[in-house]
Amino acid sequence: MATSSLRDKYCIVGVGETEYSRHSGRTTRAMAVEAIRKAILDAGLRASDVDGMMSYQNGDSTPANWVAPDLGIRLNFYMDVVGGGSSTEALIGLSMGAIEAGMCRTVAIFRSMNGYTEFRIGGTGARAAQPVRGLDLAQVPFGMRSAGQNFGMTFMRHMYDYGTTSAQVAHVKAAHSKHASQNPKALLKDRVTVQDVLNSRWIVKPLHLLDCCLETDNATCVIVTPAERARDLRQRPIHIMGVAGRVSKPRTDFHWAHGPISRVAGYYAKDIVFGQAGITPEDVDVTGSYDAFTFTTMLQLEEYGFCKKGEGGDYVSSGIIELGGKRPNNTSGGHLCEGYTHGMNMVIENVRQLRGTVDDYCPKAVDGVHTYDYGPRKCRQVKDVEITMNLGWAMPPTGSAMILRK
Amino acid sequence: MPQPAQYRGMALVIPDNDSEWTEYFAHARQHRLMMRACAACGLMRYPPSPACPWCMALEWTWREVSGRGTIHSYEVVAHAIQPGFKDATPYVVVLVELDEQRGVPTPDEALRIIGNLVTADGAMEGERDAAIGRRVRVVFHDVADHLALPQFTLTDEPPVGRVWRLPE
Repeated sequence: MATSSLRDKYCIVGVGETEYSRHSGRTTRAMAVEAIRKAILDAGLRASDVDGMMSYQNGDSTPANWVAPDLGIRLNFYMDVVGGGSSTEALIGLSMGAIEAGMCRTVAIFRSMNGYTEFRIGGTGARAAQPVRGLDLAQVPFGMRSAGQNFGMTFMRHMYDYGTTSAQVAHVKAAHSKHASQNPKALLKDRVTVQDVLNSRWIVKPLHLLDCCLETDNATCVIVTPAERARDLRQRPIHIMGVAGRVSKPRTDFHWAHGPISRVAGYYAKDIVFGQAGITPEDVDVTGSYDAFTFTTMLQLEEYGFCKKGEGGDYVSSGIIELGGKRPNNTSGGHLCEGYTHGMNMVIENVRQLRGTVDDYCPKAVDGVHTYDYGPRKCRQVKDVEITMNLGWAMPPTGSAMILRK
Repeated sequence: MPQPAQYRGMALVIPDNDSEWTEYFAHARQHRLMMRACAACGLMRYPPSPACPWCMALEWTWREVSGRGTIHSYEVVAHAIQPGFKDATPYVVVLVELDEQRGVPTPDEALRIIGNLVTADGAMEGERDAAIGRRVRVVFHDVADHLALPQFTLTDEPPVGRVWRLPE
């Protein structure tokens, strides 16, 4: 497949986020403003340089045109889309399209949510009280509403098809907790073991409590602009080599109708994103495979070809995905440990890895000086990172992906 | 529009213009499991939908299926998030592959449907007997005059393929 004509033509130049907490005590508008402001300052831009804004939400946030004026930004383009996980990469791709079409020049993409104190991502409270209509009638009346309930049968069938075990995917939580212990921003900084995961209570079998991600309050932002503009800005430009947005399996109305049900959308997305970038999984140094649950990380890594289909359990329990391993995954601790952001923090982390300035406990991290000692409360910078990949998960049948390079 | 049916604390809302679900659940209330079938190519689909996903035809009929099938996957909810399910935990959700139209029109496709695993009289079944490969049949839980929920109960038919359940 020919590489994309847009490969390396656009860059991520600024990133920013608020505290990951369970007590923001403020509106999604106020949090969005802080995250966008931080990303603008990180990039070395002025507010007037940003003329595009995109966001995604599920009726749980503040739209872009209410946030931009708070920072004195006049927009030439904005769009708020309905969506959750896997929107990050899709919106970055759409922002490139908006700039390519001449609609704007620099786009800030944000996600702001009080996922713990207002509209709980886990599905309790306001989400559980919603009336059931449309396609929800095929699942929700049977007590199948939360993300864990919606995804559990996919993992169960993978265990049946391939012999994957709870202990294998528990290594994902153990690895991500190790990474979070080197991340001052992480909500959960304590390392846990595979046995801790297996001993935690059941939520929906086959998922234990510690197989599930956090619910947090936070806002996040990334800024995209053309490469020729990026060269003049404050940070090392991080180039977008390829992007795939919300690629889907057949029958997203009821994806169970088209199997194998242990197959996920990456099966279809991988040729698009690797084709654009002109690389293979072997070229990727760091992955950001979406960890809504331990097994979602595993399913995507195997579907994108980091191992053979069915061997994801071996891959994630081999040490490869840990700091110090061949190809670490979610070096910030991800959704399981840092905080839940619908995918944004995994992109932000990979940008910082490529810059070489990951915000770990190394005293001179901001200057790119790291010890590469992966003990607790120490370093989480990976050596010599050239290429990273994000594998965004929305649901078993829908996903996005993005490949970045220095 | 009839008043929304109330079931386990949830409002099940089916507007009059939603012919797919209105008719499906009305058939279920008559204790018949009916699929929309394409009038052009004959293939059945679930959930009921306005067009044929294989040939795009808009014309359809309702066709009854036996309600018998095999557990293709399942899960056991230990921590309910819907208040009306709190007293039902642990409850089993099953993905049932119906006997009709298996592997048609491609080997990866089938008529599959989600329900709870229940006893023959409709109470939630315990998790001990839930397993991939076990055989089930439909039973109907009457909710309102216009709506019943299809649920599934185990049968003593021989299993299909390997029987497997999550290790303790």
